[in-house]
Amino acid sequence: MANGQRPLELILARNFLSSLSTPGFLVDEDGVLVFYNESAAVLLGVSFEDAGRMGPEEWGTAFGPFDDSGERVPFEELPLTVALRQGRPAHSHFTIRSMKGAEHAIEASALPIRASEETSGAMVFFWPLGARA
Amino acid sequence: MKVKIWGARGSVPSPGPETTRYGGNTSCVQVTLSDGTIIALDAGTGIRGMGLALSEEGTRINILLTHLHLDHIQGLMFFAPAFRPSSEIVVWGPESPEASLHDRIARYISAPLSPVEMRELPCDVSFRDAPHTEWQIGTATVRAASVAHRGPTLGYRITEGDTSLCYIPDHEPGLGVQLGSDDPDWISGFELARGATMLFHDCQYTNAEYPHHVGWGHCKLGDALAFANRVEPERVMLFHHDPLHSDDFLDAFHGTAIAGWEELGGRAAQIELASERREVEIAAPEPAPAK
Repeated sequence: MANGQRPLELILARNFLSSLSTPGFLVDEDGVLVFYNESAAVLLGVSFEDAGRMGPEEWGTAFGPFDDSGERVPFEELPLTVALRQGRPAHSHFTIRSMKGAEHAIEASALPIRASEETSGAMVFFWPLGARA
Repeated sequence: MKVKIWGARGSVPSPGPETTRYGGNTSCVQVTLSDGTIIALDAGTGIRGMGLALSEEGTRINILLTHLHLDHIQGLMFFAPAFRPSSEIVVWGPESPEASLHDRIARYISAPLSPVEMRELPCDVSFRDAPHTEWQIGTATVRAASVAHRGPTLGYRITEGDTSLCYIPDHEPGLGVQLGSDDPDWISGFELARGATMLFHDCQYTNAEYPHHVGWGHCKLGDALAFANRVEPERVMLFHHDPLHSDDFLDAFHGTAIAGWEELGGRAAQIELASERREVEIAAPEPAPAK
């Protein structure tokens, strides 16, 4: 990467996510949230353009997430964190709270993005299980 | 830095009376540095003519392959210096987790596709993955970067003094991107091409043809111009012509390109369509005179 240019695999991942109606997040190698698509924006109640880039601790708490007993899911247990830090796919289910206050139970599947033996980021897909008003 | 185009066609050689002016050979551009160092950008069928034009005395040649699609390597087997013991050839290309560069190219230079095996070549030939950092070839600094195409594909930037040539012959940067407005960080090839003295860039399709070829890894005219407008090169050489595009068609296409470029605020003289055997000496622009 030269002078801020994103790695190609991250560019292509963003292009891919932006074309999907499946909600998805993209983080870079440092865990900074660099993109989420319009379908994710519907779940979160705010567009990425309005939310902007978020550091790991910020996106890890901005929308919950909460487990079945209503406890906040620790950041290091989130699938996206596992994918990035441990370099392996991860899956979980939890509840997120949108900026508009709606809660959504979701399944989340994350996988690392690797090229040239280096992890350049991770992406996570959300599968909504239903809104809880 | 002297540049000679030996093949400007994309996809497949297209010889015939309709392509005599722009040429039918596939991608190959010769770069000769100020110290005489010779670099071949890609080894499409155009490299056959380049090989015949080179001196028969001991020759050291660096071949920079953007990727291994056949239209970029087909000429390797017909490159005269490869059949001379006095030649030293270094082939650079994209790495792959699947096999070494040597082994991937050997699939072409081996039976049943070839009567000659790689090990039979009498020249001194070596294969190297293009580094992730800049490296030196002769008096030039070379940089490679992955770009959006099908399969592992590189673009190259060759810089000698104040002059730089950027070569991205196969590129679809507009896929899922608003080239005119998206942040440059998210545009494939942006940093590689930014401010180059001359940019060789994919322009295989017209805007009308492109919808039938989305995702094939190539550019429509509108995207080629939009990309060039963002990276602001001094000159643009539109490259990798579709094999269906005749000389007359490309003449008209050039006119369309100029009109589009001028709409973006550029000058007509900055935009050219690559044609076989065209020679260009590129140099950094003269500084503007003091007022």
